[in-house]
Amino acid sequence: MDTLGYLGQGFGVALSPYNLVTALCGTLIGTVVGLLPGLGPINGVALLIPIAFALGLPPESALILLAAVYLGCEYGGRISSILLNIPGEASTVMTTLDGYPMARKGLAGVALSLSAWSSFIGAFIATCGMVLFAPLLAKWAIAFGPAEYFVLMVFAIVCLGGMAGDRPLKTFIAALIGLFLSTVGIDANSGVYRFTGDNIHLTDGIQFVVLVLGLFSISEILLLLEKTHHGQEAVKATGRMMFNFKEASAVFMVNIRCGVLGFIMGVLPGAGATLASAVAYMTEKRIAGAKGTFGQGDMRGLAAPETAIGGAACGALVPMLTLGVPGSGTTAVMIGALSLYNITPGPLLFQQQPDIVWGLIASLFVANIMLVILNIPMIRIFTRILAVPNWALVPVIAIITGIGVYAVHATTFDLFLMIGIGIFGYILRKLDFPLSPVLLGFILGGLMEQNLRRALSISNGALEILWSSPITFGVWVLTAIMLLMPLLRIWRKRSAAQRAIADV
Amino acid sequence: MLLQRIFASVLLLACIGLALMAWPYQAAFSYEPVGPRAFPLLMLGLMGIALLYMVFRPAPIKHNPDEPPMDRETLTKIGICVLLLLVFAGTFEPLGFIVASTLIGIPMARLYGGRWLPSVVIITLMAVGLYLLFDKVMDVPLPLGVLDVLEN
Repeated sequence: MDTLGYLGQGFGVALSPYNLVTALCGTLIGTVVGLLPGLGPINGVALLIPIAFALGLPPESALILLAAVYLGCEYGGRISSILLNIPGEASTVMTTLDGYPMARKGLAGVALSLSAWSSFIGAFIATCGMVLFAPLLAKWAIAFGPAEYFVLMVFAIVCLGGMAGDRPLKTFIAALIGLFLSTVGIDANSGVYRFTGDNIHLTDGIQFVVLVLGLFSISEILLLLEKTHHGQEAVKATGRMMFNFKEASAVFMVNIRCGVLGFIMGVLPGAGATLASAVAYMTEKRIAGAKGTFGQGDMRGLAAPETAIGGAACGALVPMLTLGVPGSGTTAVMIGALSLYNITPGPLLFQQQPDIVWGLIASLFVANIMLVILNIPMIRIFTRILAVPNWALVPVIAIITGIGVYAVHATTFDLFLMIGIGIFGYILRKLDFPLSPVLLGFILGGLMEQNLRRALSISNGALEILWSSPITFGVWVLTAIMLLMPLLRIWRKRSAAQRAIADV
Repeated sequence: MLLQRIFASVLLLACIGLALMAWPYQAAFSYEPVGPRAFPLLMLGLMGIALLYMVFRPAPIKHNPDEPPMDRETLTKIGICVLLLLVFAGTFEPLGFIVASTLIGIPMARLYGGRWLPSVVIITLMAVGLYLLFDKVMDVPLPLGVLDVLEN
């Protein structure tokens, strides 16, 4: 019952006029940012960090703003995938499969509102799950010592590779690059300057915002240079804007199933929205069987990935809030934001800062409802934003990115560093490396090193502490399973290929 | 394939260089068994092993169907774009935000296929607008640079 009391308190925080306006602004900004090519949730959230800080927002409002932007971005990405057939990011690829055919059939408005509704249900289920499980997990997590944390973070990194599927090695290298970059700067324990090359600007380490904006915005700007198909005609959203009761009830069971699935996938580190949407789509396609018209504008095919994405996006907040270990690129950015406010997410956050935690959870409910309502009057304006040509858009993105970076420390060194990181990120992308593991590695790196050193200080250098407790041992076993996953998949693929040859 | 091999080799060399750089990192007074050197070396070591594997067994790159192959033209464009960004970073403080962003914004808009007149109008308006929005409304201080005289 405590939980309900806290939740009520959270709604008190979220429903204060100030925070309501913040959430509204956040959802609007987020939707626009998600719509624009070249800006996704990760850069959207990262750009707002210095601005939220400069505005002097209190921490809970800042977090609400960032969460609202996050949800808005996910929604905005949906608009471009349904109307343009261009997925804004990896997780919305599945949405285009049935969303775009629906729009072509003249059901664009219905598709958009139905996707918003599905995502709302997904987020709602996940938020309920969070309310139920997060405090339990937080209570349990207090038993975690430095050794347990270290092992948990190893698990999170390995999970990324295990879940990424087709390119585990590249994911692993990307995460290691991030882990290494986190060691640049002065070492807090011994005062040794590491990898600074006597540069005074690097003493403090690489700024988080600089890394994010370089990796994601600058590399995207360079990528946009080679895209030739700009100015693609969007499907006009005309006719009925709202889905009716029959349509909603037809996909209701799909929503429930995929919402639960999305939540579970979101909680697992490294799995996230992309995998959740793919698994949800495949599962529903199989359940529908031959009767389904998946791929030709089946409503279930639209509802399934959207619900799963909504569920996963909220589910990803669970490990971030309870353990302080981010499971996705966007939650990694949020941890970066919290650390600006000197707040370390973790089990103690639930006791020390209940306003922040429960305010955030409650504002997720609020922001989701706002998105559904906003959709109806604003959709025509949003579709018009899609028509903004690249030549006007890209310089603005570049300049705003510059402002975001400059706002952190007000040095031009950061601008140069950002460009350097951007070029590196561009090369990584061209070579098919995933970028969000770099980010996760960067966030986890500092925590990982601190916890490792603390653990070994406790045991006076004996390595047994890293696997002697039952928790650490269990996590190591899980890590080993995760390491074996890609190998197993390759093996299965190979034997399937051999069988196919044998059949012929 | 070749590109990946080259990339992995370069990164591998960088790893070795950084590891050499990290070697002398020792705390003058140490209260803990693990010094500042172990963790970076561990990461570099693991990365080195992974990269070594990649040099010999690079994974094939999957291309998007709509991604055009790299040609000389795109490379020049990317070069120009990077140059413009560097100019932006270099002139940000001395010339001020408005001048610097107009200076690089217009060629950049041209680079992405805008026409002269609309580019000039939109970028100039945008530079002034963004300055007012961030500096005056949102309290993010931006340098005025050469336009400083107008302020007083």
